[in-house]
Amino acid sequence: MDHVTRAFGDDVAVNDLSLHVEPGSILGLIGPSGSGKTTTVRMLTGTLGRTGGEIRVLGEDPMEFSRRARGRIAYMPQLFSLYEDLTAQENVGFVAALYGIGPFKRRSLIRRALEVVDLTEAKDRLARNLSGGMQRRLELACALVHSPDVLFVDEPTAGTDPMLRQSIWDELRQLRDDGRTLLVTTQYVGEAEYCDQVALIADGELVALDTPDELRRMVFGGEVLEVNAQRTVEPEMLDGIPGILRISQPGPRQLVVTTEDAASTTPRIVEALRLHSVEVLGLAEHQPTFDEVFTGLVEQQRAMRQREEQAAGAAQAPAVADG
Amino acid sequence: MAERRRTGGVRPSLGQTFVRMASFTGKELREVVRRPGVLASLILGPFLIMFLFGIGYTGVRAPFITEIVIPEGVALPREAEYYADLAPGRLDVREITADREGAEQRLRSREIDLLIVAPENATSELRAGRQTTIRVAWNQVDPVYDQLAGLATTILVSSLNAEIVEQAAEEGISFAAGEIGSAVTNVPPEVIARPTTAETENVSLSPPLVLSFFGPAVFALVIQHLAVTLTALSMVRERLSGQMDRFRVAPVSSMELLVGKYMAYAVLSLVVAAVVGALLVLVLNVPLLGGPLIFAGIVLLLTFASLGVGLLISLVADSERQAVQLSMLMLLASVFFSGFVLPVTDFAGWTQYISYALPVTHGIATLQDTMLGGEVSQPWMLLALLGIGVVLYVGSLLRLRRILRTAD
Repeated sequence: MDHVTRAFGDDVAVNDLSLHVEPGSILGLIGPSGSGKTTTVRMLTGTLGRTGGEIRVLGEDPMEFSRRARGRIAYMPQLFSLYEDLTAQENVGFVAALYGIGPFKRRSLIRRALEVVDLTEAKDRLARNLSGGMQRRLELACALVHSPDVLFVDEPTAGTDPMLRQSIWDELRQLRDDGRTLLVTTQYVGEAEYCDQVALIADGELVALDTPDELRRMVFGGEVLEVNAQRTVEPEMLDGIPGILRISQPGPRQLVVTTEDAASTTPRIVEALRLHSVEVLGLAEHQPTFDEVFTGLVEQQRAMRQREEQAAGAAQAPAVADG
Repeated sequence: MAERRRTGGVRPSLGQTFVRMASFTGKELREVVRRPGVLASLILGPFLIMFLFGIGYTGVRAPFITEIVIPEGVALPREAEYYADLAPGRLDVREITADREGAEQRLRSREIDLLIVAPENATSELRAGRQTTIRVAWNQVDPVYDQLAGLATTILVSSLNAEIVEQAAEEGISFAAGEIGSAVTNVPPEVIARPTTAETENVSLSPPLVLSFFGPAVFALVIQHLAVTLTALSMVRERLSGQMDRFRVAPVSSMELLVGKYMAYAVLSLVVAAVVGALLVLVLNVPLLGGPLIFAGIVLLLTFASLGVGLLISLVADSERQAVQLSMLMLLASVFFSGFVLPVTDFAGWTQYISYALPVTHGIATLQDTMLGGEVSQPWMLLALLGIGVVLYVGSLLRLRRILRTAD
């Protein structure tokens, strides 16, 4: 999607969003509730029109999808929308039939889809009698039953427990490994770990788009090392080591060092501290949580926007004075 | 910007189209079957209504409670039975009195239905060759009773006039016989007063029984109401539950969706119609002179047209509540305008267009014709049912296509 915008009256839900998903990968669309994730997915599936920009899915405009393209995509909506009075396998069968799969072929596909989401035991239970987590998995089975090439999965883990969340992501990654392309939305920032690429969005705007590792680097400007010493240390002890970008001290015996290249900097840090008679007890690469990453990126973007606004204000001021 | 979508591209195979339509049919039928209470009320409800109606409604209107005021000195009979016999079955003469004020008060307080006041000078006026007036008053807000009271009055006055003519003729003949001789007595006075009598015969193939007449009408109304209510809710639920998004993404056309739903509800309605129809004929003994084939054909057409009404409601309504309200409005309109209670011909010309726009109007007329008369006397009504069904199907299809194409 390229510079896509969607407005509801005066409210802009998605603003100038550009994304590209590599085939056979998982793109995680991550952002807080109300950030425009579902609107984006609905535009990508053709269930919602856009007010600006271009979208191509499987080479086609979603609002003009051919039957062939629609047969190759799947959409798992955010809310449970299956039929409560049908059993799990009847629900999956119904969706399979929507894709024109006949009754004989359908049987094995239903069985397989239920196996993937571990609902074989519950196949004869009415959907209304399934737990919330099982209903989410049933939705996923329905999305998988026709073996789509592209899946749009809207908040598959919303309201689920950590165990189920892990299990759902295992299934999504397995689908990716099978060659399918997935766009998954989630409001759990930590789930970025499971994605090949992550698009962070806030207030309908793209904050960052990259691999999880690159996003971390983006926030801290490099790799982060956490140094734990035997006795009190001072940041100045590391003066003169090339490649160090920033040093912070969360505790008297701890330093957090941001460096351009952790591999080359690590032995130099150990050596520098040894010269100050400080024994290093531990030195490891620090993995910031994605909550930190997300917060950092959003703050960076806001700061940048503030600077841009100030610059624009400053540029206008002389013009006004001249006028 | 892009707000529309095509459903085209690659033409689906006929088999896939059938699979998709059958998926909707199967799903709808399963949902109904999973609710046995709904199924029971679908089949037993209509029959129970007809059964209670059949055993409870006598079709006989109670006679008017009547009081007759005959002033003192007037030479008119004072036996209640005499006046009751003048309009048989219509008057229940409770009292003959000379107290007009009291009788008027009892009429105002609705202790009596009808008040008849005989003229004070009837005999002298007659002899003078002038008409006299009988005052008949009633206190009714029910327009049907108002009309019936008028009819009873007409019959009463007509009978009374005949009685007077008969008496006068008798007096005249006696006088003439004394003057001229016995030759004038050849024509009896009652023949002079009532020169003709009616020999009546109802040539209808079915006896005019209340249950037989209203049975097909209730049946038609029930079939329409079932089809409308069942379908009115179906599409609203799909929309509110978010299923429409799934249908938009899947390679399903509006035609496949609509035909699938039609098939499901047609099967349901026809099963209900078969069961209720069988109970109607076999248990309530309503005749089926036209045979089961034409009966089934009419039910099929009525169902087709009624499903169209329901689907259109479900595509227009924004909520389940609104769908139910619109279905009830449809029922109300059907009760008033379909000929169920009042004949369609009683309505003003332009109002009859409303009547004929309702599937049940044609359903009632053709079912009564075929069940009680053996054939459909107005075959255009069958075409009208087909026409209503086709128009509503096309309307629903266009509306559904718009819903599926246009984003929120």
